[in-house]
Amino acid sequence: MKVRVAAVGDVHLGEDIRGRYRPRLEGIEQRADVLLLAGDLTRHGTPEEGRIVAEEFRDLRVPVVAVLGNHDYQSDAEDEIIALLRDAGIHVLEDDSMVIPCGEARLGVVGGKGFCGGFAGKCASEFGEPEMKAFVRHTREIADLWHKALKGLDVDHRVVLSHYSPVKDTLAGEPPEIYPFLGSYLLAEAVDAEGADLFVHGHAHAGVEKGVTPGGVRVRNVALPVLRRAYAVYCLGGEDPESC
Amino acid sequence: MSHEAPHSVASHHDAPHYVAARVQRALAEDERTYELGIRVDIRGDQLFLRGQVEGAERRAHVAAVAVENAPGLTVHNEVTVVEVREPGEEETL
Ligand SMILES: [Fe+2]
Ligand SMILES: [Fe+2]
Repeated sequence: MKVRVAAVGDVHLGEDIRGRYRPRLEGIEQRADVLLLAGDLTRHGTPEEGRIVAEEFRDLRVPVVAVLGNHDYQSDAEDEIIALLRDAGIHVLEDDSMVIPCGEARLGVVGGKGFCGGFAGKCASEFGEPEMKAFVRHTREIADLWHKALKGLDVDHRVVLSHYSPVKDTLAGEPPEIYPFLGSYLLAEAVDAEGADLFVHGHAHAGVEKGVTPGGVRVRNVALPVLRRAYAVYCLGGEDPESC
Repeated sequence: MSHEAPHSVASHHDAPHYVAARVQRALAEDERTYELGIRVDIRGDQLFLRGQVEGAERRAHVAAVAVENAPGLTVHNEVTVVEVREPGEEETL
């Protein structure tokens, strides 16, 4: 019943590094059952860069599930990028879920880009100017959708895929002053309410890989500058020592 | 009323604090870079850039944008290019 989840984020592909990532994905089917991409797939968020991402990650022998990141929104072409990825057979989550059969096990993946606002006790609230309310509301609405998506998932293992972080743990190394722009505790709260086996995110290039939510869900920051390896592999269902 | 006012405004604008902020903002917003995670520190007439980017060309662009936005300062480009290793060991959760 084990599932091996490969994950990486913040590959920030562009013309100057076209084709350089693909060779590192060779043999991924021997190491993992699925590959998750945690956003910031491009640098400028242009359709041209979206095409480079699609070429780099298409036709792998494992399913690929992606979310976008803030860089993928920079040129207002996010819908086109999503369409390009989907045309290449890459699944893109937009605050929804999907189920991937992995051998005998069923893996549920929930997520989207997520958003920020800060962490409990030191965060923005829906108060005051409309701009401030809209900022915080965006995160809250995303968290609500993830909560609902998790609730409806009847699977063996559940993974949440996000660009922004749900906790401060994995931000260590980033300046504390910018934590409110790196994630939100609302994402953790939504996931803790329903439970999950793993929460994968990117965005915090200077952070660290490992953390945990207040409810005990393991958090992994898979931003490429943090991992410094092609992707991380997490084996779920490890209570059976034979299984992983 | 003081005739010194414009001079003092100009010198405040050029305080290292604001120059560093200007460079950091340019690195984030200039389309040659779009780099949000570069640390900018100024000590005297020396400007230090630290962080990681994905390729050598991007590293050079970071320095170019910094030089343009910090005239008169010596720019030290300590940004490194991320080295991507093999996937390595899996972790059992
Ligand atoms: Fe990023
Ligand atoms: Fe990001």
